[in-house]
Amino acid sequence: MTKLEAVIQPSKFEDVKDALLEIGVEGMTVTEVRGHGRQKGHTEFYRGREYTVDVLPKVKIEAVLPDRLVDSAIQAITNAARTGKIGDGKIFLSRIDDAIRIRNDERGETAL
Amino acid sequence: MSAVKRRYERIYLNSVYRTMSSPATDYTLRAYYRQEFERLRGEFEANGSGESSVRDRTAVVDKLALQLWEQHVVTCASSGFALAALGGFGRRALFPYSDVDLLFLAENEALRGRMKDPVRRICQEMWDIGLRVSPTTRTLDDCARFDQDNVEFTISLLDCRFLTGDAGIFDRLRETVLPQLVARESDVLVQRLAEVTRTRHLRFGNTTFHLEPNLKDGPGGLRDSHVSRWLGAIAALDSGRKRPESLSLQHDSERNELMDAIEFLSASRCYLHYRAKRDENLISWEAQEELAAKGIATNLGTISSAEWMRLYFRHARTNYRNTTQLLEQVPGDRSSLYRSFQHWRSRVSNEEFSVVDGRVYLQQAVGARDPFVVLRLFTFIARHGFALSLETERRLKNAYRALADAMPQDARLWEHLRELLVLPHAAEALRVMHSLNLLTRAIPEFETIDSLVLRDLYHRYTVDEHSFLSIEVLHRLKNNDVEWLQPFGELLTELERPDRLFLALLLHDTGKGLAGTDHVHNSLQLAAATVERMGLPPDDAQTVCFLIATHLEMSSTLRRRDIYDPETVRELASKVGTPERLKMLTLLTLADIKSVNPEALTPWKAENLWRLYAGTANYFDRSVDEERFHAEVCTEQVERVAALLPKRRSQLLKFLDGLPQRYLMSHSPDQVIQHLEMASHLRKEPVQLGVRRVSGQHELTVVTAERAGLFSTLAGILYGWGMDITKASAFSNRAGVIVDSFYFKDRFHTLELNPPERERFKKSVVEILMHEAPLDPLLESRLKADTKPAKLKVETKLRYDDESSPGSTLLEVITQDRPGLLYTISSTLANENCSIEVALIDTEGAVAHDVFYLTRDRMKLTREQQRAIEWALTTELSDSLPSNW
Repeated sequence: MTKLEAVIQPSKFEDVKDALLEIGVEGMTVTEVRGHGRQKGHTEFYRGREYTVDVLPKVKIEAVLPDRLVDSAIQAITNAARTGKIGDGKIFLSRIDDAIRIRNDERGETAL
Repeated sequence: MSAVKRRYERIYLNSVYRTMSSPATDYTLRAYYRQEFERLRGEFEANGSGESSVRDRTAVVDKLALQLWEQHVVTCASSGFALAALGGFGRRALFPYSDVDLLFLAENEALRGRMKDPVRRICQEMWDIGLRVSPTTRTLDDCARFDQDNVEFTISLLDCRFLTGDAGIFDRLRETVLPQLVARESDVLVQRLAEVTRTRHLRFGNTTFHLEPNLKDGPGGLRDSHVSRWLGAIAALDSGRKRPESLSLQHDSERNELMDAIEFLSASRCYLHYRAKRDENLISWEAQEELAAKGIATNLGTISSAEWMRLYFRHARTNYRNTTQLLEQVPGDRSSLYRSFQHWRSRVSNEEFSVVDGRVYLQQAVGARDPFVVLRLFTFIARHGFALSLETERRLKNAYRALADAMPQDARLWEHLRELLVLPHAAEALRVMHSLNLLTRAIPEFETIDSLVLRDLYHRYTVDEHSFLSIEVLHRLKNNDVEWLQPFGELLTELERPDRLFLALLLHDTGKGLAGTDHVHNSLQLAAATVERMGLPPDDAQTVCFLIATHLEMSSTLRRRDIYDPETVRELASKVGTPERLKMLTLLTLADIKSVNPEALTPWKAENLWRLYAGTANYFDRSVDEERFHAEVCTEQVERVAALLPKRRSQLLKFLDGLPQRYLMSHSPDQVIQHLEMASHLRKEPVQLGVRRVSGQHELTVVTAERAGLFSTLAGILYGWGMDITKASAFSNRAGVIVDSFYFKDRFHTLELNPPERERFKKSVVEILMHEAPLDPLLESRLKADTKPAKLKVETKLRYDDESSPGSTLLEVITQDRPGLLYTISSTLANENCSIEVALIDTEGAVAHDVFYLTRDRMKLTREQQRAIEWALTTELSDSLPSNW
């Protein structure tokens, strides 16, 4: 099993969610986050007031997947979230040892 | 058969079944209880009566308790020891899976110790039978003691009922101990009861209107009827002391209404218990479907779940209102300062309404039959936040038929509503109006969402409550201390006409009550009918309809678009049209999200909404001359104006040619026609003036031929007359016709108090513009008079923008507002030989925010020119402050 964490533009969340559902990823955890990578941030003005926008709004999606779905999930996310501009986001992958469904103690991939 | 079972059989034969209609010798008590339980369930399914179901279960459990007492206590001793029922059991209202509360009452500690074992056995056997027992053993002295940390026990004694044992000791509890205790501690008891109830209501957001309500603990649930009962019991036991009128029982009609509500809730709760096979009190969506399909608690047969929920909310509202009316009469444990404040509040009484202890009374009973008095009453509530007195509410209910028939739905309604909506307690006033069925009489379109439940995982409240809540959310912005909401609060104070936004909020979801999937379209249709009937002026009606038609636009943009993409901002600005509408739509979006459920608006979402707003507002300021009107490309706005002037279409197009699109967006068709009319008279009178009052301010419109320094001269004239300019705009068309508008406050009420001065003012403007009179004497006399210090110091900021406009350099000036500021800035710019192509002048409190589109010799400004202007303006703006500032 692999844990996938994708940090994406908020405006791409709906498309990414639909793309993941389409390939069979049904469970995910979604968090509203702020951050920056190379995109850094910029300064904005509104009515003379200066707003330093050093961390930008992002959405983080977390999902634990059976290994067979990992490549297609990566493909689905990149296709749906890519604009080609700085700030499109990142995907992180890590190994997961086990999963347990609390309701009935199922373990491993069947618990996903 | 085990020994235990045989023993039970003997018990059954010898005692319990003596009172039963059909004894069956092989039953254990457990089997007996199961059979009786199933019998009661069957009877409930047949007759649907909640009241008889809970009463009959009480009788069954009574018999079991009696039997066990016979078995375990009588043989030991029963003198000085008694068994009583508490809680729902005490009230003879034992729901199918409710706990059985028992009080073992001992005369003294010694007896309590001696009876410990029989009590344990009784409880153990009751558990074995399948009853969830909640026992307590107390001496009379325990019961007489008031424990601040366990007020619940004293309150539970209010429901105590004798079951068996020593009747004498129970009588001493009921007739002596309890009355003395209540008489001694009634104030604390009532206050703690009120406190616990208010905390419980708060847990549910103080509203009945949850999509999946809890019919026991939620506001308007059965617990509220218990609270009313306890307050009544305390009042009865403490009859020597004078209590508020409402702590006694209600009028007959109210009592009947309340009894209907309790029966409805009881029957529904029985069903939920049988359905879940446990003490389940949440009316989930699935349960709603079943309750409606089976017509539980109604005699209507199968109905839709929406109809069933409407009935539920009606009954819960009755119950909730009754309890809150009672609670509001209970003074909190407040300081004398608070009491003084309450007393002060009563001073707002007037010739129509009086306020006593925070409740509003009609001065004249006959007023309850007059819809305009009643509308003023709701406005009074919206202004001060007082609750209706019971007496007033009764009068309104009694006069309902006459009131409903006479309730205005036309422009007279809008006159009252527009005042009410902008007042701080508007949502509360609307809720009261709705609970009395008067809101739907005034606005029939609102009936579509009366107590309407829409099923999704996101919304928590019914649609009508969501609408009220959205209005409340906006009003609360004014005094909120949440940092991330403060910019929105400031935005609200900047609105020119917030009444239109609040009306849009009230109506924005009415379409959810109609068939079809496009609720926005449906809401728009209903709102169009409402605003037409209420006779809103065309501009107001269009604004309200626009807000409803686009109320999901910003949410959708936040979800689906990159808010930092200039194209996203440009598209939104194009849809919204004007900065004022953008402000309203931003606030509507915020209120709409926040009133979906308490967690729906996160700081993250609010921040994104604010950034989208700020980006679009900046775009408006920086793109005015980007899109100018061309006669060959007619927009919808132009066609709307042209339709009113079919014979002058070409003249109109010529006038509009070259004016920025923002001119069209920010002026109503009537105003455009007026400007056209003024422009057509320029040959006869080269300076055309219009002065009118708008929202407590004056508007001066000048249409004339382009000339150097015109804008600064006008600013100077207004300053010379003592006027305080709050907003201004300057536009010009391709033919060189200028349309300058100034909104100003008449600081010294010159025009209001002296009608002849109005003509002298107009004459002065024309003469100075025509160089027939000098400006300087007017300015000098004013400069001498203006020495008032400012209350706030704002650092002056100047920013140039060479990117946003293709032909002009933008200069943004943020500085301390002060008399004559606009004249100082514009004359400085004129002295630097700059032409003001467009000016957008705004004032927020003490801060002036001005944007000028500048050219020199029809070109953008060079760096050197910008530096020279910056130096001149910085010098002038610091010099223009009186020395003591």
